[in-house]
Amino acid sequence: MPDASDIVFRATGLTKVYRSGALEVHALRGIDFQARKGEFIVILGPSGSGKSTFLNIVGGLDRASGGQVWFEEHQLTALDEGQLTQYRRDHVGFVFQFYNLVPSLTAHENVQLVTEIARHPMRADEALALVGLQDRANHFPAQLSGGEQQRVAIARAIAKNPEVLLCDEPTGALDSATGIKVLEALTQVNRAVGATTLVITHNAAIRDIADRVIRFADGRIVEETVNTVKKQPSEVAW
Amino acid sequence: MVISPLRRKVLRDLRRLWAQVLAIALVLAAGVATLILGNGAYASLSETRAHYYDENRFADVFADVTRAPRALLGEVAEIEGVLDAEARIVKLGLLDLPGMVEPGSVLFVSLPETGGLNRLYLRQGRLPDPLAAREIVVSDGFAAAHRLGPGDLLPVLMNGQRRDLTITGVALSPEFIYALGPGQMMPDPRRFGVVWAPRSALEAAYDLDGAFSNLVLKLAPGANPDRVIEALDRLTERYGGVGATGRADQISHAFLDAELQALWAMVRVLPPIFLLVAAMLVNMTLSRLITLEREQIGLLKAIGYSSRAVAQHYVEFVLLIAVVGIGIGFAAGAWLGSELAQIYARFFTFPYLVFTRDPQLYGLAAVITLAAAVAGALYAVRSVVKLPPAVAMSPPSPVVYRKRGAWVRRLLNLRQTGVMVARHLMRWPFRTASSTLGVAMAVAILVASLWPFGSIDRMIDVTFFRSERHDAQIVFGTPEPLRAVFAAQDMPGVMVAEPFRQVAATISHRGREKTLAITGRPAEPRLSRVLDAGLRPMPMPQAGLILSEALAKTLQVRPGDQVTVALQEGRRSTVTLRVSALSVGYMGLGAAMEIGALNRLMGEGALISGVNLMIDDARAAEFYAAARTTPKTELIGVTSLMLSRFRATLAENITVMVTVYVVLAGIIAIGVVYNFSRIALSEQGRELASLRVLGFTNREVSGVLFGELATVVLLAQPLGWLIGYGISAAMAASFSSDLYRVPFVVERDVFAIASLVVCAAALVSAWAIRGRINNLDMIEVLKTRE
Ligand SMILES: Nc1ncnc2c1ncn2[C@@H]1O[C@H](COP(=O)(O)OP(=O)(O)OP(=O)(O)O)[C@@H](O)[C@H]1O
Ligand SMILES: [Mg+2]
Repeated sequence: MPDASDIVFRATGLTKVYRSGALEVHALRGIDFQARKGEFIVILGPSGSGKSTFLNIVGGLDRASGGQVWFEEHQLTALDEGQLTQYRRDHVGFVFQFYNLVPSLTAHENVQLVTEIARHPMRADEALALVGLQDRANHFPAQLSGGEQQRVAIARAIAKNPEVLLCDEPTGALDSATGIKVLEALTQVNRAVGATTLVITHNAAIRDIADRVIRFADGRIVEETVNTVKKQPSEVAW
Repeated sequence: MVISPLRRKVLRDLRRLWAQVLAIALVLAAGVATLILGNGAYASLSETRAHYYDENRFADVFADVTRAPRALLGEVAEIEGVLDAEARIVKLGLLDLPGMVEPGSVLFVSLPETGGLNRLYLRQGRLPDPLAAREIVVSDGFAAAHRLGPGDLLPVLMNGQRRDLTITGVALSPEFIYALGPGQMMPDPRRFGVVWAPRSALEAAYDLDGAFSNLVLKLAPGANPDRVIEALDRLTERYGGVGATGRADQISHAFLDAELQALWAMVRVLPPIFLLVAAMLVNMTLSRLITLEREQIGLLKAIGYSSRAVAQHYVEFVLLIAVVGIGIGFAAGAWLGSELAQIYARFFTFPYLVFTRDPQLYGLAAVITLAAAVAGALYAVRSVVKLPPAVAMSPPSPVVYRKRGAWVRRLLNLRQTGVMVARHLMRWPFRTASSTLGVAMAVAILVASLWPFGSIDRMIDVTFFRSERHDAQIVFGTPEPLRAVFAAQDMPGVMVAEPFRQVAATISHRGREKTLAITGRPAEPRLSRVLDAGLRPMPMPQAGLILSEALAKTLQVRPGDQVTVALQEGRRSTVTLRVSALSVGYMGLGAAMEIGALNRLMGEGALISGVNLMIDDARAAEFYAAARTTPKTELIGVTSLMLSRFRATLAENITVMVTVYVVLAGIIAIGVVYNFSRIALSEQGRELASLRVLGFTNREVSGVLFGELATVVLLAQPLGWLIGYGISAAMAASFSSDLYRVPFVVERDVFAIASLVVCAAALVSAWAIRGRINNLDMIEVLKTRE
């Protein structure tokens, strides 16, 4: 049994209902979930099964309709808007399908954007080196390929030394070779920084690089697998 | 009727972007309103005046004489170019109303002959019986100020004699539309009125049997007024004529001219500013809309809409904005016009004042405004026409930013969010520049409307506290021997008495000439002083002449030059005098010399025209009563009354004007800042939402957008000050005339207030946009590609 102090995330009976007029969409129908420090978790599931909704609530971007989520000793479901912002700022690194870089800032500056407001950041150069982009530091996003942009996004996410790294389809917009590079970057920083990492993906092959795999369906967790042997991203067949 | 889908889209876009549309429409409306107001008021004032002059046969040439026989009139009428001539008696009298402590005067004018010139417009009652000795008609403003009407008695002092005159009617005259009393700076209907009396009564009162003191002439169309004046001056010379004047120098006419000139300046300056700013706003907003709708444009073209049809769609959108603006502008212009007409009614006495609602003017304003809006749209719409459908359907090529100005960053110690602000501003230099210019225009309009306050303070300070420091002035009907000073000294309440002498003269220099009064003062005057450029009092020259700067400029003379002085009184000698120095002063034109020297030129002995007095405040009422009954007194001036009237009148008019200008400037500032921020937000919404995801607070994210606004608003300040200073300088120059000169001083607080108002307007816009920043949808931007 893992030590209780080792638990980073704890969710119990988490629900989310979207209301638009008379229509109700139950995106999450009661999620119970835990994540340990430094764990690398892959989340799979069909489209519309509630993966992004779950990740957004855990990341403090959205609010639950019911149930509780704890991050360490903070109950996220009880925080107000300002406190959630502070939570994201201090503890969470995000990586998204469409990178969401600031187009008017160079790679280096995009990373600095975060290090300037973080409590214990690493150097921006260091973060870029971790994802192998030290040579492209002075390029603007428009001058970088999709994979490179995504690696900048990862560097930006990890530069604050976050406790958790949340990635929503980080390879969704990339070809396989580039996708592997991005995954390598993720696993590498997971190891180097020790951040608990949650990765949503549609590519079931990626499951092999995880410590644990969770499958969503219709707003519930329907399957959980623990990998005893982790593969390297380069070993994964796409 | 079926509305085409594109038309429906126009209406939907208007509704969706209503706030931006309204902001642009208001700026256009300000242009339309000022255009209509300025042109309308100009047309209304000049046409009303022309019509009034025509109907009431306003004279073209005016001349004063001391006393001329009526027989002279025949000779005057013979002058070539004279259509009609009328001999009148025009004399000053003093008011002796029981309830009125302060001195007031009336100008007696003999009633126009039937079919004569300067006919009256009777408002109430009837004209006096030509044979009645004591019947009069009084001017409208004066009657209103004293609540007098037909049947009331008016006690006056005529030539020192007290009489009770009976009012039979109340009238207006084209000669006194702007009824300024002698020695006054602003019309004061309580202290000055015009009284028309039968000629025979005035002849008797002023010992002018068979004689006259004033001539008015109507010229034949096309006659040369200068020739007529020349001929007339030759005829009147023997009878104490001091030089005839044309309409341009007639007080009432000249003040109306000054007002018309100011309106004309407004028409030339304000509407173009608004239309320019509006065109820039249209361009900014439409460019952004077209960028956002790139794919739709591609789609429309792909399914067979012609480039023209799509372009027309956007032009229609702009035309509708213009139509909204024109509608508001028409309403505002008409309303402001009627307000202005009321101000005019208070200031100028016209029998009628129609604010013309000339459809042509409205049509012209509409066309100009539509043209400005379309001009703003054209550049943006050109890109619609040029865009090939295939290119339009693919995502736009990414915006290229450049790394530049690293030193700025280091200098300002910018954070990355600051770098975002700087790069974004520099990425669209045209938009940044035009927004800056727009805000600067708002600042400039305020500077241009606020500076006169400081200038008026300067005028008051120089005129009343440094130069004309006397409390009261007595002007004699005819020059008195010097000993009259001692009589004045003995009057109750008088603490200091200082004599002055005034002689009409024509001063000329190299073909330029000006007729005015030369004032003689004691060598070291204490009450009425002449100041040098450093505002230090100047001693009066024993030989030579001090000219006011304004006069020196008109005559183009410099200190040390010789001028020819033709005295228009007494023996009418002509001498050459050296200009010893120049003086500053803002009221009228001035020439000064030592009183003894002036009297030696005249050769009539030691005479004085009046005395300047310092009065014990506590005994002012006693003094007024005594001064009134001194037979030689023709006029009593009281500085404090003049000053308070001056201040009150200006305060009233300037307050209205400044309010209007603050609103106009606010409209520009809000319109520009609001549109600028909406566009910036639309472009950067995605980035800003991403920042929120990264853990930036609402305040920090707003800071990025507001940083851009603040930069534009700050850059606009010095530019606005500069433009405003330029406009103000041009205004000061155009306001100045022989009547008064407007000192051009722009106090520092003018810039400060202008900037504060504009910053406040910017804050209002920022506040309006704040909600949109706080409600940025973080999750939405994560789901979609740019
Ligand atoms: N803002 C919203 N309003 C209404 N319904 C929503 C909203 N966001 C998500 N949903 C619904 O909630 C359900 C879960 O959505 P979610 O985005 O979490 O799915 P997902 O598992 O991430 O799917 P995908 O793999 O396609 O990204 C879906 O049925 C979706 O339609
Ligand atoms: Mg999803």
